[in-house]
Amino acid sequence: MNNNAPIFDIPMLHTKHCYQNLQLRRMIFLKRFFLFAIAVFFFFCGTERTYAQVYGSASHTITVVVNTITMVSVSSGTVSMTITGTGVIAGQNQMTVANSATSLLWGVNSSLKKITAQTNLVAPLFAMKLLAVSPTQGTAAPEITLSTTATDLLTNIGRSKGSCTLQYTGVALASQGTGTDSHTITFTVAAQ
Amino acid sequence: MTHFYSSYWLRWLCSSKVFFTLVSVFGAIMLTSPRIHAQVITVTGNKTLTITTAVIGSEPTPVVNSTSTLSYKRRSAIAKITVGTSCPSQSFTLKVLAVSPTAGTAAPEVTLANGMLATDFIINIPSGSTAAWRTATLRYTASATFAQGNSTEMGNDVHTVTYTLVVQ
Repeated sequence: MNNNAPIFDIPMLHTKHCYQNLQLRRMIFLKRFFLFAIAVFFFFCGTERTYAQVYGSASHTITVVVNTITMVSVSSGTVSMTITGTGVIAGQNQMTVANSATSLLWGVNSSLKKITAQTNLVAPLFAMKLLAVSPTQGTAAPEITLSTTATDLLTNIGRSKGSCTLQYTGVALASQGTGTDSHTITFTVAAQ
Repeated sequence: MTHFYSSYWLRWLCSSKVFFTLVSVFGAIMLTSPRIHAQVITVTGNKTLTITTAVIGSEPTPVVNSTSTLSYKRRSAIAKITVGTSCPSQSFTLKVLAVSPTAGTAAPEVTLANGMLATDFIINIPSGSTAAWRTATLRYTASATFAQGNSTEMGNDVHTVTYTLVVQ
């Protein structure tokens, strides 16, 4: 009997082992299936039905270019001043007349700029002075006497849009007699 | 013994670490990158707006360009389109407006600024057939002040303008 006992025991043990192995494999399968299901879930999360605030996007390039723009202008093309003798002080040689009716306007988008003024009249009979009054940008130079050489009227206007009043002063001496000066005055934006 | 795990393909499917990894990675990509979806929004080519003139007494004259078109598809839910831009060292002003969208409602004109949050551009795009393309004309307006300078000194403003179709 003792010799037969192992013979019957072996199949019983084998059956039990197979049952445990099957359970183990089933658990492994379920674990892997669960992980696979998670992966599939993540996959479909990528579709727009279940996720995705964002459906898609598109881009292009827009380039903005600003050219160098330099503009200067006067508010009126003609200024006329006449020394009539009215108000002349007896015994005084110098007579003056002033005009502040016009303005200078400019627009400059470059840095380090100034505005100069000059006249085309090579040999004026009388002196013509000019002063920039109350500039909205920049610094007014001291009153200048117009000549054919460009002279600073405004400095440090920088990148700006501005204006100032043009104050012309005609100066005549009694000893200079009478006559007419016709100036063509040119304002120029120049590098400072 | 025959049971549900005995199928060769099912066993291969469930035991393949490679497959599981691929599915996981692809799922993660789908989650994080909507760009691999079918194209649902496009915009026509690059444009340049050049400001060249001014009227005395006024700032430089703005330039308008309406030659770009935004195309988009309706989705299965109500959607909207947002706009944003990237423009390092921006000096000038750029605005954009959706003109005559064939689906949805145009938002007010948007000022594009570097690093801006995505801003509503076309809203209330109704859900519906996703096949047909809908369009809107893009009206860009570039402007600058004299004080902002010029491109020679400041450089050009190069905007990468991005339109995004999202759930509303």
